[in-house]
Amino acid sequence: MKAPAARNVPALLQALRDEEFTGTVRVSGSPGGTIHLRNGLVGAIETPGAPTATSALLTTGRIDDEAWLTACATEPDADRLGAHLVTAGLIGAAELEVVCTAAVHDGAFAMSLGAAGGWDIGDREPTLVAAPGVEPRALTDEVTRRVGLLGRAGVTAGELARSRPEAVEESAVAPAGRRGGPWVQPRLRGLLDAVNGRRTPRDLAFALGRGLYAVMLDLDHLESQGLIRREARTTPGDRPSTAPRVIPGTADGSTPTGGPLPRRRPGGGTPSGERGEKADR
Amino acid sequence: MGENATALQTSLDRLLDSPGVTGVALIDAVTGLVYGAAGDIGEAGGGAESSELAALIAQRLGEAGAEGDLESVVLTSRRRHQMLFSVVRPAGDPLLLAAGLDRDRANVALALRSLGDRVTEVLA
Repeated sequence: MKAPAARNVPALLQALRDEEFTGTVRVSGSPGGTIHLRNGLVGAIETPGAPTATSALLTTGRIDDEAWLTACATEPDADRLGAHLVTAGLIGAAELEVVCTAAVHDGAFAMSLGAAGGWDIGDREPTLVAAPGVEPRALTDEVTRRVGLLGRAGVTAGELARSRPEAVEESAVAPAGRRGGPWVQPRLRGLLDAVNGRRTPRDLAFALGRGLYAVMLDLDHLESQGLIRREARTTPGDRPSTAPRVIPGTADGSTPTGGPLPRRRPGGGTPSGERGEKADR
Repeated sequence: MGENATALQTSLDRLLDSPGVTGVALIDAVTGLVYGAAGDIGEAGGGAESSELAALIAQRLGEAGAEGDLESVVLTSRRRHQMLFSVVRPAGDPLLLAAGLDRDRANVALALRSLGDRVTEVLA
């Protein structure tokens, strides 16, 4: 199928909605992802940036692995897998709808945190889909709300998503007159236990089988309680540091002034007393 | 109820049978996303506001020493009640059922009992 002219992904989805398109849209970029459309509605989004409905069901143990594999073997068409899960009594139809709808919104949110590249349109690929699906316009509105809510002065939602929060000793933030830390809801406690200074919100979402946006909101709560700290990266990626080099032995990293430059001597090494001298052995 | 109504929509539509209930919505208690609604959506309340309110109350109750999860919240104005119920879920983030009730046609105690009993049916 020829892709309709569109200036961005939301506009493309809206155009495909008007055509009641069924198929996939592969979006390149970071994180990018695959958007599954059914009759123009968004049924599922697979992206490296957020867990899918399948991941949420299995990671949380809502459906155990063995039952899942049996269901997949019985119903090979993943589009019809949801109905089979309900028929088999593994999950309620309304609950499955909630899980799939949440995953669609979360996937769209995750994809919005990075710049989209191009896109390709393809045929339907079977996957676990929300029935009937989410209206593209509603999806765009919700993503806009989420990105706006998480963005703070000087720090975007995308930068927060790349942060690596670390826990703060709870006794250090204990309210006056109370031992231990502040009261923490059980859900937040579980997240706090998973924070280790190395995991990004995305890592935590995958580890817990929760949505990326939900994890980022809960991290906000924990940070406001003083239980975690994080420094959002102000630059994307892992660009090497260009900060001034601090020379051991100097009080600060300021550029040394005065004195001649070290001179190279025949036979290697530099005169005693000059910087760069090799240690006596 | 439409011919192709989803299971969730059917569950929510059924709750409108309760006396005085004018609108209901199923809300994600963390993100505020509204998964479905029936009746007068404005009467049920907004998703983001409801989730923030429930989280704030749960936090304050916890800090005050209350044990257990938040079960329900009742707000009463001159003409209407608004109720929030925690929806028990086997796994995943918590949900809220928000309901708006006409104060002239609803008894708070009966509505709490009636809707509270039926909350578990929503995810069936």
